[in-house]
Amino acid sequence: MRLAFILGEIGSGLRRNITMVVSVILVTFVSLTFVGAAGMLQLQINQMKGYWYDKVQVAIFLCSDGSTAAGCATGPVTPEQQDNLQTLLESPAVAQYVNDFQYESKDEAYKHFKDQFSNSPIVDSVTPDQLPSSFRINMKDPEKYQIISETFSSQPGVETVIDQRQLLERLFSAMNAASLVAVSIAGVMIVCAILLIATTIRLSAFSRRRETGIMRLVGASKIVIQLPFILEGVIAAVIGAALASGTLWAVAHFFLGEYLSKQYPDTAFISPGQTLILAPALLILGGSLAGISSLLTLRRYLKV
Amino acid sequence: MIRFENVTKVYDQTARPALDDVSLEIDRGEFAFLVGASGSGKSTFLRLVLKEDRASSGAVYVAGQNVAKISSWRVPRLRRGIGVVFQDFRLLPQKSVFANVAFAMQVIGKSRSVIRDTVPEVLKTVGLEGKENRLPHELSGGEQQRVAIARAVVNRPGILLADEPTGNLDPTTSMGIMGVLDKINQNGTTVVMATHDDDIVNEMRKRVVELKNGIVIRDEARALYTSMIPVVGQSRRLRDASGRDEAQPPAPGEPNPDSGEEQR
Ligand SMILES: Nc1ncnc2c1ncn2[C@@H]1O[C@H](COP(=O)(O)OP(=O)(O)OP(=O)(O)O)[C@@H](O)[C@H]1O
Ligand SMILES: [Mg+2]
Repeated sequence: MRLAFILGEIGSGLRRNITMVVSVILVTFVSLTFVGAAGMLQLQINQMKGYWYDKVQVAIFLCSDGSTAAGCATGPVTPEQQDNLQTLLESPAVAQYVNDFQYESKDEAYKHFKDQFSNSPIVDSVTPDQLPSSFRINMKDPEKYQIISETFSSQPGVETVIDQRQLLERLFSAMNAASLVAVSIAGVMIVCAILLIATTIRLSAFSRRRETGIMRLVGASKIVIQLPFILEGVIAAVIGAALASGTLWAVAHFFLGEYLSKQYPDTAFISPGQTLILAPALLILGGSLAGISSLLTLRRYLKV
Repeated sequence: MIRFENVTKVYDQTARPALDDVSLEIDRGEFAFLVGASGSGKSTFLRLVLKEDRASSGAVYVAGQNVAKISSWRVPRLRRGIGVVFQDFRLLPQKSVFANVAFAMQVIGKSRSVIRDTVPEVLKTVGLEGKENRLPHELSGGEQQRVAIARAVVNRPGILLADEPTGNLDPTTSMGIMGVLDKINQNGTTVVMATHDDDIVNEMRKRVVELKNGIVIRDEARALYTSMIPVVGQSRRLRDASGRDEAQPPAPGEPNPDSGEEQR
């Protein structure tokens, strides 16, 4: 009976305050979408780290026609220089850091390039000659990049040593910055949401002060008096959180899954299913924010 | 049932107390009128019984319990034992008569079947059978007050507090309401009624507690609205005196100078 009564009160409260309830839903929706976006970026970073850290290599690019580096004074890399480098790679001093390595010829480099940029018109303007040959080294411990770099940079025939991981790190720090921005926007929006929920609950309590006054006089318990108001805020916020979760799923499914993954086929994007990990967190976050802010508002504006 | 021990209530430090060292006991099953001029502290008395406010000093006992010692989460239980009726009825305008009375049972978790059985019975007690489905605006003031009384007593409280319940009603309707209150009192409920209505008090011949400036100046059984033993000499002194001076002769039998013999 009491449950049915409380549910009825919630229903009438939601109906009476429909415009405010809709705005609470929208504000929590937007703010939690930003929270979720930050979460998705973090998931994506982890995903890419897991996927790429096994694959990325230290690349020793060898001199080619147009190279200007100090090691290329003698022009394009000669077979002797290449042999020397290979010997050095196999020497115990270096081999202890190396899992394995392979040589990538200009033609192979062209083939990889074509695969990677198959969608891009740039492929047509590149010829195998323009791409340098290289040694691709798979490190035992990617952190030890410095040793390889120091050993090989000054060797004749070497144009440059590149740690692909560092390129990735740059990408990741950009993504981290983006998620920080998302979190900051989310923070401001959440403050908006809290204030709006507080206002809504206050209005709701005011418009029903007659009922609550009578409830108080006939000895209704604090819970029965306050719960309809609190649940009103919580329900609105949870609807907003559900919309936010749905949006994140849609972004993962349609934007990442069907668009970006076709543009960048060798990038591991998070799957729509993974964004659903975020959904319970968003629901709990939205619900508890609303619950706490309604509770605090009621403490001030609803005498019990 | 209700006991005040040296109760003082100060709302505003700069003004005189709303109740000043009031000691008084109302027994179970009694019917008592609280009379006195506007601002004499009648509503304050009732609010203290309900623990709507805290006494500044002294102790208020309701059903043997010191209300100051009741923790906030047990206050609802105290209030379930007390029904309240106001001058302005305070009905829910969009709910029917039945729903208004049922509301008081719903919010304390009474089952649907109990509500279905009890509400018509109570509506019959207050003389509203057949009007269950009316909305408050389809009722006369007297009928609305009957609904309010039904709501106040539907949970069978031991005490019924009424703050000027007939203040908005004509004399005949008021008498009808008094009949209802008397019937409820006959069933064993302690009734305390604050009123300005001298006809009603004189008609009912119940206990009368008279307040003036927060002080009990008269407490008489089976009394009239004004004292039966007018003490003319004191009347002028009382009117001129500050509130403090009146504490000295709290003997019953003081006249009410404002509405007293001058009216006759
Ligand atoms: N909430 C309050 N805050 C400050 N002062 C108050 C408050 N309530 C009552 N008072 C003061 O306390 C005194 C007693 O008020 P109370 O309402 O008890 O009088 P009353 O006897 O019920 O009057 P009436 O017959 O007009 O209803 C008055 O002087 C009033 O101004
Ligand atoms: Mg009053």
